[in-house]
Amino acid sequence: MAGRTRRATAAKLEMIHARALTKHYPDLRQGRLVALDGISFDALPGQIFGLLGPNGAGKTTALRILSTLLKPTSGTVTINGYDVVTQPAEVRRQLGFMSANTAVYDRMTAWEMVEHFGRLHGMDKESLAARMEAIFERLNMNDIRDLLGAKMSTGMKQKVSVARAIVHDPPVLIFDEATAGLDVLVARALLRTVAELRDQGKCIIFSTHIMREAEKLCDRIAILHRGRILAEGTLEELRERYHEHDLEELFFRLISEHDQHQGNLTQNLLSSGRLT
Amino acid sequence: MNWSNVRLILAREIRDQLRDRRTMFMIFIVPLLTYPFLGMIGLGISQVVQQKATRILVVGEGHLPNEPTLFEGDRLAARLFRQPGGAKLLDVHRWEGDGQPDSASRVVERTASPSERASQAGETAEEPATAARSAVEGGTYDAALIIPPNFGRQIEACREAARRREAPPEIPKPQIIHTTAVERSQLAADRLRIVLERWSDEVARSILTAADAPTWSLSAVDVEAIDLAQETGYRGAAMWSKILPVLLVLWSLVGAFYPAVDLCAGEKERGTLETLLSCPAARSEIVLGKLVTIMLFSSLTAVLNLASVAATAPMIFSQLPGFGPPPALSPVWLGLALLPASALFSALSLALAAFARSTKEGQYYLMPLMAVTIPLAVLPAAGGLELTLGNSLLPVVGLVLLLRAALEGNYWQVVQFAVPVLVVTLGACVLAIRWAVEQFHSESVLFRESERFELRLWLHHLFEDRGPTPTPAMAVFCGIVVLMVHFFMSLHWAAPLDFRQFAVTVAVSQLVVVLTPALLMTVMLTRSPRRTLLLHRPHWSALPTAALLAVALHPLAHLLQKAVMTLYPLSETMREALAGLETLFAHVPWWQIVLVVAVTPAICEELAFRGFILSGMRRGGSPGRAIVVSAIFFGFTHGILQQALIACLIGLLLGWLALRTGSILPGMVFHLVHNSMGVLVARLPPWLETEWPSLSWLVQKGDDGVAFAWPVVMAGTAIGVLLIALLVQFCRPRLESQEAIASAI
Repeated sequence: MAGRTRRATAAKLEMIHARALTKHYPDLRQGRLVALDGISFDALPGQIFGLLGPNGAGKTTALRILSTLLKPTSGTVTINGYDVVTQPAEVRRQLGFMSANTAVYDRMTAWEMVEHFGRLHGMDKESLAARMEAIFERLNMNDIRDLLGAKMSTGMKQKVSVARAIVHDPPVLIFDEATAGLDVLVARALLRTVAELRDQGKCIIFSTHIMREAEKLCDRIAILHRGRILAEGTLEELRERYHEHDLEELFFRLISEHDQHQGNLTQNLLSSGRLT
Repeated sequence: MNWSNVRLILAREIRDQLRDRRTMFMIFIVPLLTYPFLGMIGLGISQVVQQKATRILVVGEGHLPNEPTLFEGDRLAARLFRQPGGAKLLDVHRWEGDGQPDSASRVVERTASPSERASQAGETAEEPATAARSAVEGGTYDAALIIPPNFGRQIEACREAARRREAPPEIPKPQIIHTTAVERSQLAADRLRIVLERWSDEVARSILTAADAPTWSLSAVDVEAIDLAQETGYRGAAMWSKILPVLLVLWSLVGAFYPAVDLCAGEKERGTLETLLSCPAARSEIVLGKLVTIMLFSSLTAVLNLASVAATAPMIFSQLPGFGPPPALSPVWLGLALLPASALFSALSLALAAFARSTKEGQYYLMPLMAVTIPLAVLPAAGGLELTLGNSLLPVVGLVLLLRAALEGNYWQVVQFAVPVLVVTLGACVLAIRWAVEQFHSESVLFRESERFELRLWLHHLFEDRGPTPTPAMAVFCGIVVLMVHFFMSLHWAAPLDFRQFAVTVAVSQLVVVLTPALLMTVMLTRSPRRTLLLHRPHWSALPTAALLAVALHPLAHLLQKAVMTLYPLSETMREALAGLETLFAHVPWWQIVLVVAVTPAICEELAFRGFILSGMRRGGSPGRAIVVSAIFFGFTHGILQQALIACLIGLLLGWLALRTGSILPGMVFHLVHNSMGVLVARLPPWLETEWPSLSWLVQKGDDGVAFAWPVVMAGTAIGVLLIALLVQFCRPRLESQEAIASAI
């Protein structure tokens, strides 16, 4: 009974609602490549939802679908009530997207870059200026205001990207492997910013293949492998369910069990002559 | 479309480009430096070539007559040259019989009397000629002048004969040996020829004097050439009208390409494309913002280059005769042509650049684009190509020719061809822009990763994963195959000599060229031939309606055909060929003609164009585009352009019929009746006219075929519209799944 009420409240509050999401790519060699094989998850405001998976698990594909860069082959996603397929422009207004691939423009200063995207989000000049002053203050970016993107260090670029993603104060933020290639100091600063944003009540999706980050940061974790979610829950729930305290061990066990299972399945099918 | 987003993106891209040093260099510095530099080099080269002395070998100087003299000391006589000092440009060397030619020893030879010298050289006349040939071929001399033996003596004899009023003896011909393969040789030969012409004038004069005839007769007729362009301000317009359009086209292409690569492939490479795509601006707004930026830089590049040419060229060319400043109106015409040219190239570059993964890959695409564009731009300027209907329908070529006509002040041509050129150019622009937008909607293009391509795997995939109906790409491929095979086979077809040959030609072209590719591809590349070829039963009313529609619209189609023929007349050879065909038909029973020109095409062309190609294009999701593309392919399989235009229009109607009724049959009926009408009306038996004289009021037979009266055309059109309305009322179109989804959304 208690469980049902909780689920009902969650359904009301949930920001991201993904159901049976699949994505195929045409591929000459295999006929088609299944990048996502029916994943479903929900994410709530004030929570960091972690997508944990090895390279090629489908994390980037899933997040690109959430941010409307890709269209799903089947399944639905709504973000703050808007459908990613039929209302992509509304969805993009609801979210800030940042990945290792969302770079900053070389020939624009930090201020110009953030201002440009604020304007594209339809903010008027006065509120944009006030918002930008606040962001630049909070992220300590005032000394790089007039620096061109080409001359920035990686850490500075990362700050500009964060500022760019949050300038329109979106309810949902998506970080796709955002710490990839950053040095420890910069990565730490970024993680701290992400945590702050969560505390402001944002719904955050954070994908990574680094266990430490997931452990430290995420309120809920989904382990993604070969386009499927193998396990999902809070860190404590996962530890309890699999009797394994160390996330890295847990992760490795789940993945190798899955692969072994798949291998056995293929073996059985082969021996029974159903797959040739 | 949110215009403020477009404006924001446009402003950002322009600022971005202006901050890029490479772009600034390409646009502002290159044109300012290029033309003065090119001019300096050109002028320098032309002076060197003009002033360069050429070496000539003279064989048999001894055979020259004593009067008039050809040589003056070491050189050709100065009086024979138009310009003073011209004689110094021809270095004369003399053949010395056995050894090497030596200009110094000629003095000795000169002392001997002409007759003595002639007897010495006469025996070996052949030998020096071959030696001179090899000397010119080997490049030792630029040209050789061979005076044949007895040349001088025969001229003397001529004079003597003239004095005595007798028949003249024949004078042997002197020879100039040169080779057009070498420019210097050409130059030497030209100089020699002018000198010899003047000299032969003097010889003629001396003969006239000998005969006591008046020598003024030689210059009795003096032709004066008057250049109207000199008076009307179009001096040198021909030259400018060739140079300026080419410059315009090339620079608007180059000026578009580099920014396009930076704006698309560059964004992908630097990783900012994903940033941009995840902001609320729609893809079409992004494309439009980028397109306008590219157009702006393309036009700017072209304008600056043209301005730089206009500023430098007159200074350099003013030294050359017959070359004036460009026509006064040229900025206006160039400005008008610049807009479509830069729009076309900007959209093309944008689409190509969007496809590229990196700027490096983007740069690779410039070469193929140039390879296609340069001939299209240069050929009409270089060759003696004139605006015709055919030329005007070629993108770029038509625009260049139209611009040339405008620059030459040939305004009637401009009026005559402005419409087809603009329609084609704007059509190409729209296609290119839509292609660019599609590139930005395509995931596989935006997030393209390199994949190994294997032909075997790909073919396997084509066959194994084939759908019920073909894809748009297959449809376009089929259309291109049909057009190409048609073109190559038509090169080998001779004009038929009798009706049987004609029938065989038509049957082969229809069955082999049109039907076979479509059927083969249907069988191999689709799972449902029935759906692909629209082999469904239509609503019962569709067939008679289609037949009636063809009858009702025939007068209108006939009138349009005539209008096209009047506006763009057939060439003389084409008209003769068509007239030849008609005489072949004269004694053939009507049903045989109908079988060949109506039944066969109705079946074959419908299956190919309204079957395979239309079905394939429909899978793209846009029925309108499917109809247009299939109609264009259908039109251009009709070899004669004037016919192709009308065939395109009829193709539109046929495509609509096929989609509306969901069946291939009404189109076949329409096609059959339409073609038969053409045959039958032309062969109305003469007794009809005598029986019903009122008929001649409706249909008149003239020298140029049949003409329908206006009321007939209008009544037919009205009935046609009514029938179309009936079809709309009674036939529900059968939608393909994609179209159903599209219309539902």
